[in-house]
Amino acid sequence: MKNKIYSCILSGLLISLLHGLMTSGVFAAETFIPPGKIKYPRLDFKLPRAERILLKNGMVLFYLQDRELPVVSISALVRTGSMYDPPGKEGLAELTAYVMRTGGTAKLDSGEIDERFDLLAASPSISMSLDSAFVNFSFFKSDLDPCLDLLSQILREPAFEETKLQLALSLKKEELRRITDNPQKLAFREFNRLLYPDDPRGRYFTTASLQNIQRKDLMAFHREYFYPANMMIAISGDISKKEAVNKIRQYFGHWNDSRHALDVPSPPKQTRHGIFFLRKELPQSTVVSGEFTVSKVHPDYYAFSILDFIIGSGGFPSRIFTAVRNNEGLAYSAGSFYRARTHYGVFGTYAFTKTSSTFQSLHLINDILHDVTTGSITEKELDWAKKSMLNSFIFSFEQPGQIAVQQMTLTYDRLPDDYLMTYRKKIDAVTRNDLKRVAAKYLNEKKRLTLIVGDTDQFGKLPENWEQPVLISPQQ
Amino acid sequence: MLTRNRFCLLLALLTVLCFADPVPALDIEKKVIKARLNNGLTVLMLERKFSPTVSLYIRHRTGAVDEIKGQSGAAHFLEHMMFKGTTTLGTKNYEAEKKLMMQIEKIGQALDNERMKQNKADQKLIEQLAARLKQLQNEHRRYYIPNEIDRLYTENGGLDMNASTGQDVTTYFVSLPANKIELWARIEADRLLNPVFREFYTERDVILEERRQSVETKPDGKLYESFMRKAYAVHPYGVPIIGEPRDLTYMSPAAIRHIHHQYLSPENMVIAAVGDIDVQNTLKLIDHYFGRIPKRHYLSPDIPAEPPQTEERKVEIWFDANPSMIIGYHKPTAPAPEDYTFDVLETILSKGRTSRLYSRLVLQMQIADSISVHNGIPAARYPNLFVITAHPRYPHTHHELQTAILRELENIKQHPVSDLELNKAKKQLKMDYIRSLDSNSELASTLSYYELLLGDYRYFSNYILRIDKVTAVDIQKAASKYLGADNRTIAVLNKKITANTNSGTNEK
Repeated sequence: MKNKIYSCILSGLLISLLHGLMTSGVFAAETFIPPGKIKYPRLDFKLPRAERILLKNGMVLFYLQDRELPVVSISALVRTGSMYDPPGKEGLAELTAYVMRTGGTAKLDSGEIDERFDLLAASPSISMSLDSAFVNFSFFKSDLDPCLDLLSQILREPAFEETKLQLALSLKKEELRRITDNPQKLAFREFNRLLYPDDPRGRYFTTASLQNIQRKDLMAFHREYFYPANMMIAISGDISKKEAVNKIRQYFGHWNDSRHALDVPSPPKQTRHGIFFLRKELPQSTVVSGEFTVSKVHPDYYAFSILDFIIGSGGFPSRIFTAVRNNEGLAYSAGSFYRARTHYGVFGTYAFTKTSSTFQSLHLINDILHDVTTGSITEKELDWAKKSMLNSFIFSFEQPGQIAVQQMTLTYDRLPDDYLMTYRKKIDAVTRNDLKRVAAKYLNEKKRLTLIVGDTDQFGKLPENWEQPVLISPQQ
Repeated sequence: MLTRNRFCLLLALLTVLCFADPVPALDIEKKVIKARLNNGLTVLMLERKFSPTVSLYIRHRTGAVDEIKGQSGAAHFLEHMMFKGTTTLGTKNYEAEKKLMMQIEKIGQALDNERMKQNKADQKLIEQLAARLKQLQNEHRRYYIPNEIDRLYTENGGLDMNASTGQDVTTYFVSLPANKIELWARIEADRLLNPVFREFYTERDVILEERRQSVETKPDGKLYESFMRKAYAVHPYGVPIIGEPRDLTYMSPAAIRHIHHQYLSPENMVIAAVGDIDVQNTLKLIDHYFGRIPKRHYLSPDIPAEPPQTEERKVEIWFDANPSMIIGYHKPTAPAPEDYTFDVLETILSKGRTSRLYSRLVLQMQIADSISVHNGIPAARYPNLFVITAHPRYPHTHHELQTAILRELENIKQHPVSDLELNKAKKQLKMDYIRSLDSNSELASTLSYYELLLGDYRYFSNYILRIDKVTAVDIQKAASKYLGADNRTIAVLNKKITANTNSGTNEK
């Protein structure tokens, strides 16, 4: 056995000796310098910033030049989202975004729009999420005018052709039909639905709600949310500031609307807690847990970000990964997530594990969440998390387009202007005590929502301290 | 001394290459610097100065196709084991570890041997061995620090550290702050030369979970696996990268070592460094660490060629999910001229809302929910497939969808595509190409891939020129030659109806 294990290394050594390339000493382990002793050159860097320009009609523009490629990129954020769906018409926001792109404009029918975009090798995407719409578009610099013209038509005067709405509705229904095909997607959708009881964020489209949606609803939704002061644009690429501002003015400047930007929506009031099961006969369970936590503008945001990193979002050395994957081999994917918004945050954990280890995985995770509230995080763990977050900070400034969009997003989230400038200092100031305090303050098993999608009959005996889980069916 | 002399010469040559010409913005070829170490390892470097970061790729011309029959999944398994540390990274006492790991392997093997007997296995013995294994694993844990490689990378600001295993190629990659290149070289050279395969048996369970996650619970994964198995009767492209369940369940450390042995072949390796680098210093560092790998002529195992297909193949599977289908055709791989032609055809058929298949099936006939086309499945070292995947829209059937797709392919054979359509596709391919130049990691990935696969990264820099030469006649010819019934494999997934009673029987 011994020879077998190291045979590859031995033969490598032999060959190197035969070829006389180097002394055998090279293979002694000590010639690899201990990583802690490597001397690194200094890293000097500036944090480039996009310029912020306010248009007369209230639209905010972020600009950063990037001459490397003959391409211009435009992104936009609109204060809207699926949480603004009128009750009973869930799905309206997503449909509006989709048919804006596919349903023609006041000047051009849908077929003509599709043809022109494809000929330009460019197509804007308009994606509707819970609390924003995001537009993404890039094209050859030489096509600046036709591309901006089409983009402004789509954003300002979409036609919402009836046939394209009907097609979109049919495709949405097919999406619903397929919603249970992918267990992870299903789990996260149902988890969100449970997380926000009696809140617009917890509503999803159903066959019934789609039935209630008509063309006039899309037109009204578009009118309600798509106006200059309610959106921001980031532009970067092979274009001067002067040209960028002039062109945006040319295509969007005459879009007059006296309304001010909408406010950030108020946070959800409460989350549901307890344990929920969704039955799907598969050999692997999807285990998702979560609870509300600190917002992005709260001073505890920094401590909680580090806490989340150590618990399960910091990759291999994080606690959940080490416990569930390394030590027990129970999952390939396991970890935590922290999504902080302006007025609230959601913290959660997940593991995908074979049916028979469903409860064991959940126990390991809950034990970790309990353990960190007792102050068990070591100085070494804190040090690792801080160094990781501080040293990788420069990757937030890798590309001009990314920088412009990032600045737009921070403005959208109403974060203070010096957020990025003070980020590292605030991360660095977090102490072990802070971690213990925020863990105890925000992590509470009694308030935690857990959803398990899997072969519920085969999970085994329920743990003693559990209430009977509630069985749910996917909402279609 | 020898090393140093060689180096000066190399650098002098590079300097000439480097500054001979002013560099136009898009001319990747003139910006890339290619060097070869004495041991045969190829290094590609490209300076991009906007941010003080660097993306580093190491590729091995070793993948799932190089596995021994019955050990499917070994290449991917090795990729997991390469994160388990080295003789100096992650250990508290390597000598103590070594002894324990030999015992662990002995007990683990005995346990596997017994389990393989299945019904005839001695359950009591299995329990004993499993308990002993657990005990040894716990003891071993006292002597090592798990995930040390990952910790070093993240702590130093590393991003997207990961690896991937394909049929052809295995890749290890990370992005770092530009001043940390030496850390990467130190870790990577060490784990190539002195890896320690800790936590073997728990990792095997992890990979079985990975298989459950990506295949056993996913209709797309299930269908793809069945499709590939059918499309390749002989060639190992038909074997899943993650491994057949049985092979994976009983994978041995010896199988992993066998694949690792193939890694130690500098001629079959390419390194790419793209970002804010100093070319000479970077090359010096790479030579210092990777130059230690001895030169070795490694011969790939004989891989049987796939015989020409002579009749249509079909496979049907049942799963608790909505219907989907895959249609595939055998074709030559890059850099054959037909491969470029199929890239253009892929675009004409599926890219954008006005593409042939999307506009016909989704917009006009409204019988499909989605459609996609991929040229070059599953990999490119050997002849591969041109593949169409589609979801029928309820209540339409596989049959309707298949008929409509085949009619569109027939159309391509019968009538030349218009200049307008051809130019549209070419512009789209050019745009995709240009977008791919916008990121350090994507550039490092692409350059190293083609250098390794075709022996020349310039496949990539010349790509658009070659695409420009594709004609409507080429498309018709290639379609007529390869997109015929005899050369076709069709796989369909049908919905299996399961009783969804939603009645819980869990008792406390």
